[in-house]
Amino acid sequence: MKVSLFIPCTVDIMMPEIGVDTNTLLSNLGVQTLYHKEQTCCGQPLFNAGYRDHAKRVAKHFIEVFGEDDCVVSPAGSCVCMVKYHYPELLENEPIWQKRALDLAGRIYELSQYIVDVLKVTNLGATFAGKVTYHESCHILRGLNISAQPKKLIAGVEGTQFVELESSTACCGFGGEFAVAYPEISEAMVREKAANFVKSGADVLLLCEPGCLLNISGYLHRNHTGKTALHLASFLAQNIKKV
Amino acid sequence: MDARQAILEKLKSAMRVESIKRPPKPVLSELSMNREQMVQRFGQELGGRTGVLYQAANPQAALRVLSDIIKAEGLKSFVATAQDICGVDIASLGEADGISVSFAKDFTDRETLREAAFKADAGITSADFAVAETGTLGVIFNHNHPRLLSIAPPVHIAIVDVKDLYPVYENVVETVFKNTNEMPSQFSFITGPSATSDIQGVEFKGMHGPKKVFVIMIMS
Amino acid sequence: MHPHANKFMETARKELKNEQSQMFLLMVSLGAPILRQIGMSTFADIAAAEAYSRAIRADVITRLPELLEAFEKNAVSNGAKVLWAKDAAEANHIILDIANQRGVSYVMKGKSMITEEIGLNDHLIKNGVDVFETDLGEVITQNLKLHPFHLVGPAINVPPSEISEAFLKKGIIDEASTDPVKLGGGARKYLRDKFRNLQMGIVGVNMGVAETGTIINVENEGNIRLIKSSPKTLVAIMSLEKVVPNMADAVSMIRMLTRNCTGQKITSYVSMDSGPQKCDEQDGPEELFIIILDNGRSEIYSDLKTREILKCIRCGACLNTCPVYTKIGGYPYGATYCGPIGQTLTPMLAGMENTSDLYRACTLCGMCKQICPAGIDHPSLLLSYRARQIELKNQKGKKTMQSRGENAIAGLIALGMSHGWLWSLGINLTRPLMNSMAKDGYIGNIPMGAQGWFVCRDLRAIPKKTFHETWDDLPSRPESSGNTSKKEDS
Repeated sequence: MKVSLFIPCTVDIMMPEIGVDTNTLLSNLGVQTLYHKEQTCCGQPLFNAGYRDHAKRVAKHFIEVFGEDDCVVSPAGSCVCMVKYHYPELLENEPIWQKRALDLAGRIYELSQYIVDVLKVTNLGATFAGKVTYHESCHILRGLNISAQPKKLIAGVEGTQFVELESSTACCGFGGEFAVAYPEISEAMVREKAANFVKSGADVLLLCEPGCLLNISGYLHRNHTGKTALHLASFLAQNIKKV
Repeated sequence: MDARQAILEKLKSAMRVESIKRPPKPVLSELSMNREQMVQRFGQELGGRTGVLYQAANPQAALRVLSDIIKAEGLKSFVATAQDICGVDIASLGEADGISVSFAKDFTDRETLREAAFKADAGITSADFAVAETGTLGVIFNHNHPRLLSIAPPVHIAIVDVKDLYPVYENVVETVFKNTNEMPSQFSFITGPSATSDIQGVEFKGMHGPKKVFVIMIMS
Repeated sequence: MHPHANKFMETARKELKNEQSQMFLLMVSLGAPILRQIGMSTFADIAAAEAYSRAIRADVITRLPELLEAFEKNAVSNGAKVLWAKDAAEANHIILDIANQRGVSYVMKGKSMITEEIGLNDHLIKNGVDVFETDLGEVITQNLKLHPFHLVGPAINVPPSEISEAFLKKGIIDEASTDPVKLGGGARKYLRDKFRNLQMGIVGVNMGVAETGTIINVENEGNIRLIKSSPKTLVAIMSLEKVVPNMADAVSMIRMLTRNCTGQKITSYVSMDSGPQKCDEQDGPEELFIIILDNGRSEIYSDLKTREILKCIRCGACLNTCPVYTKIGGYPYGATYCGPIGQTLTPMLAGMENTSDLYRACTLCGMCKQICPAGIDHPSLLLSYRARQIELKNQKGKKTMQSRGENAIAGLIALGMSHGWLWSLGINLTRPLMNSMAKDGYIGNIPMGAQGWFVCRDLRAIPKKTFHETWDDLPSRPESSGNTSKKEDS
């Protein structure tokens, strides 16, 4: 089984360890991973800001890079959404490109989705003695309809107690440019998310979206010292029993 | 170009898309209720809105219930849709001491009707339908049934025959609007008393319409 | 409508600090979805019910012109007078004319977003016809001169003490009170004589039924039923998207409307009028005017994408789940419509230029789309507005220094994103600059650029190596050492 890794820009630059952990998890499952060094960003920031022509250029680059892969996996839900749903929309006036985009859309997966739905694995052999909870990132949950998969992977971790997070499906206030352009509103949202995390009593807040992680962990670092948010891939990779 | 033509032309010149096929109509589980279940559901739903359902075995029993409500609520003046509602002798109430009743037919013009309806302690009306789904009354307004009787007075007492009790709105609407030449000028669904929560989300009854609603259902 | 959406953030900041507003927003965000869920649980299959109401609204906008013509024909044959108005000015003029011709000194109004949208009250009052709002929430907003805080509860946030003060001044109550029941009771008493002597009433319309020419109003207070019963003259004003094909569809939509609006299975009153009173009736209007208002909607309809906005049934469910609305309330949106529906509708009604905060202040979380019983994809609409704005800014002759600069930066980013080596170069140039501001591995602020980020959060210092640069150092898979596939493309 061969998987092409799509490591989005936030991970590549800001949190490369999530990419490493993604690679570790897949390798441990016997998957051959490959990484195209020509990859950059999916163009979501440009698309969301309204720069569709520029985003289109990036989309075509992405399709050129990943177009021939059987299977593309990424540890970022919103970027998968961008490729899966917005590329075909963006390229609607260019039938040949749109066809390539639609074709690729059927071959791209979010990491937890790929592990649980395609590889049919829920137990990765990790152990963790502590309480965790899970933030349902907007694009993972409502964009890709992924919710059960990460929870199954968490349930597969030995010794871990899952506790409920109040308003777990509420947005954390990231929204890319939103967090920078509307900081006060964004703050009110991430404050609530962090407060609910603290209230849950969990040791670690898990999530599957690098953007949310950047936002929540940045807020926790300033306001709730000692509270940790982690990408699910990192949590799993860190706690896999060393053989 | 007049507004009508301009608007319609603009709408018609817009790009057309093909109609999408409707998914199947959602199943209404209420349709399987039997009469007993319907009565129970009606009372439960109405009660949830602070309305009260009385089941009367026959018109005579209904009259007794009505008298009891009148006494308990201390009501003195009424406007009623008719002297006889579902066989209940409303006119006989007027014989009791200190109580005044007037009837829809007594009012030939808007002014006298408004005067009486806004002054009355209660409106006593028929209801053409009852809907179990939500404890709702269905009322056809016409010259025998002025609109104000059930909305202007602070208490509304409705008398309805159990044979007019249906599971869902559809049953009623199909009948009322079947023949477009015979539609009433107004048909209303009434569910419990008037209510508001507009200040601080605090709910209270009787904002502009009745504070209390009583439904007497004749079971014979 | 008086859009002042350019003050979006200014107002939002105030509201974020307003304890009263925050308390009610918390109540709305926690309570409303629960009430809705309880209401929806009466459906045997909630998803099927949602799919069906969405299909009805999709059907309506597909057949809009035909349905409107059928509605008109049938309403006229019921005896109603149907008038069309292109814009706010025309509608206001028609209504003032009707009032003047009948010599009425005042009118009473049922809750209606559309009359707020066209600024009817101001127009009538300016021309000597007094207007009494009758919905308790609107009695309050009218007397305190407030925009709606919420689509459904326009004054739900206003402290009773402020209501009391305004009501005292207006003579609605005789003595001060902070009891909502007493304040409401005062309004009831104050308006009762006016209802009794009313000569002309004005209501909005929740649905106009094409097949029967019927207008339907959904309400709890009974003010609309009084307005539809007491006066000789009734004016119903309906924006042109409110039409539904037939009574069966109307009933299906009513079920969804009330559940999504207040969580109720049904409101206290649903009144359905097919024409004016019949000649032997003692009450009900002798003449019923139905005004069909365009006010920019046919233009919205002309675009396949924006057409979707016309599916809206004004239930307000999107407000209650919106993470932005539930933090800032209705005032920052600066217009009749707030929350996600305001964000999609107002830019179309008031223009894109001064409303950019409305389509940009959104995280695209998708809550609104998920809950919408009419099937509107708000995030997708907002994204299309953003694209439209950028297009407009970069049109020939419209370019400014700023738009040129922004576009150049976006272009540069796109260029970098389209070339792997350029991308890496950019990162390697930026990293030392960013990290020079880091302390203990975190950046707390930067002198320029994305400072909004640092208002409430830190940013981890940028790691020494990107994933890209790490890849070659990664160990090969243990169970297939020597396998080259991992690096075959590097």
